[in-house]
Amino acid sequence: MPSLQGIFDAPGPVADATKRLRHRGFTDLEIYAPAAFPELDDALDEKPSRVRVFTLVGGLLGVVTGYAMTIWMSYDWPVMIGGKPFAAIPTYTVIGFELTILFGGLATLLGLLLVGRLPYGSFGRNDKGYDKRFSGEEFGLVVGCRERDVAEVDALLRAHHAKEVNLVEA
Amino acid sequence: MTPPPAAAESIHAVGPPADSQINRDLLAPMEGVSLGYFLLLGTTLLAVTAAALTWIYQIYIGLGIAGYTHPVFWGVYIVTFVFWVGIAHAGTLISAILYLFRAKWRNAINRSAEAMTVMAVMTAGMFLGIHVGRIWKAYFILPYPNQRGLWVNFRSPLEWDTFAISTYATTSIVFLFIGLIPDLAIARDRTAGWRRLLYTGLALGWQGTARQWKAHSRSVLHLSGLATPLVLSVHSVVSWDFAMSIVPGWHATIFAPYFVAGAIFSGFAMVLTVMIPVRRIFGLEAYITDYHFENMARFILLTSWIVGYAYMTEYFVAWYSGVEAEQSAFWFRAFGPYWFSTWTMIVCNVVFPQLFWFKRLRTHVPTLFVVSTFVNIGMWFERYVIIITSLGREYDPAVWGVYTPTWAELTIFTGSFAFFAMLFLIFMKLLPVVAIYEVKELAIHERAHAAEGAH
Repeated sequence: MPSLQGIFDAPGPVADATKRLRHRGFTDLEIYAPAAFPELDDALDEKPSRVRVFTLVGGLLGVVTGYAMTIWMSYDWPVMIGGKPFAAIPTYTVIGFELTILFGGLATLLGLLLVGRLPYGSFGRNDKGYDKRFSGEEFGLVVGCRERDVAEVDALLRAHHAKEVNLVEA
Repeated sequence: MTPPPAAAESIHAVGPPADSQINRDLLAPMEGVSLGYFLLLGTTLLAVTAAALTWIYQIYIGLGIAGYTHPVFWGVYIVTFVFWVGIAHAGTLISAILYLFRAKWRNAINRSAEAMTVMAVMTAGMFLGIHVGRIWKAYFILPYPNQRGLWVNFRSPLEWDTFAISTYATTSIVFLFIGLIPDLAIARDRTAGWRRLLYTGLALGWQGTARQWKAHSRSVLHLSGLATPLVLSVHSVVSWDFAMSIVPGWHATIFAPYFVAGAIFSGFAMVLTVMIPVRRIFGLEAYITDYHFENMARFILLTSWIVGYAYMTEYFVAWYSGVEAEQSAFWFRAFGPYWFSTWTMIVCNVVFPQLFWFKRLRTHVPTLFVVSTFVNIGMWFERYVIIITSLGREYDPAVWGVYTPTWAELTIFTGSFAFFAMLFLIFMKLLPVVAIYEVKELAIHERAHAAEGAH
């Protein structure tokens, strides 16, 4: 199946072209950008990123671990200090808080790796649609389509200011 | 949908050159090493070696070679520990809090500030090891299952500190790394040899697809949300190492906000002290502008007032409390044998930053450099004043005493600055000092708007 790679200079036209292509029923689309742009965030997938689930679960796991660990350890070897309860909850809040952040942060990293599908493929050395210019200042829109649609996609990409359209895979 | 061809041409007219200028400018500092660089690196390495040998000697001989003696058993090591933890705070403030506030000016400085956070926390962490008498038992502080069935005391602020500092170190490294991934991909595409191998591995095959960017910006957002309360908590916990005890001069409720403000104050000063020469040497004036420096100067002015207010509150509370021990502790601070540290602290932290009321001085780079250096000195003395003078005179006059730092402490203290400088020098040659993709984001936005205007 052939793939066409359009090279763009700005995020706006990429978003427009993507919208148009999706409207026309093309589903094998990939956008490459040199930085994060709100226009492109939802161009392929409108659903909110799942990273937030990772952060939330990590944070909750952290706070539970923090309190559970401190309370359990206090009762495992009870030391009476000044007639106070063995488990001194207010002071354990510091541990609970720090572990919320620690677990939340590590879970966010895990979320980025899983949701962003990293580490990816052959570490970026020979990926078909990728071009070094995308880590410069240019944008890419790679469309996988049937042989007979090549002309249409080519025209559509050029109509949206693609300054160059290449056939990356025959 | 299809615009006229004339519009298409106008977009091409403002297109970027073959490789982007931003990439070339911001990757340039990583290339090549001059003789000056090697001399600087060698000097820092020498000082670090001296400090390391001193530490080994101290482990062999015992803490006696530090100036620790009755009644002061928290000396320069703890002072310097608190100093470096404070320095770390500016990085998180710039990368997390200013990110949440959408302050665009942070983009040029956040990378180096984040890196400074990681390096400063590493430097600070070592002092906890240097300070303890038996380093080979340092792992006792961790709650690990052991034959004796003992657990650590979670009521102790020192235990809180263990958790706070290790969480801070881990989260800062994660934050720095996530920010670096896209820039590592840029470097991967533009280098050869061992560097290419290194960046290929570290960039994890980043391609900048829409899905990756979406996950990336969410991750940065969530980490900022986590790091903001974290940065406030870390120095609060450090302050509670002192405030939870009943030592006169330490036992105060204002300690947490007082320490956090001081940390941000000293952190911004350190970022200025480091970035002014870096910008000059690598010619990054187009990216790190006087506007960035001016904003940091504003932060220094603001936090200088908070810190100054805290000094006044401390004295007021000591007087108003009617507690004689508190009153004499503060009298001793200002007019006792440590008067020099107290007045250095006040002059450097409260008087000198007032120069930043004047725009001409805020934008005058030599003034910024000198004042920020004085703030660094003043903030080190602030911790010296808090820790040493309070311990020097507790409740019982029979055990009052005077502490003087020894050669061992001063060697290790100097070594810590060299260690920080050495890490920064290595960082500059290995990783981009400015977040390239964030600079591009702004540049491409501006260009797109300019192109729309041209229609």
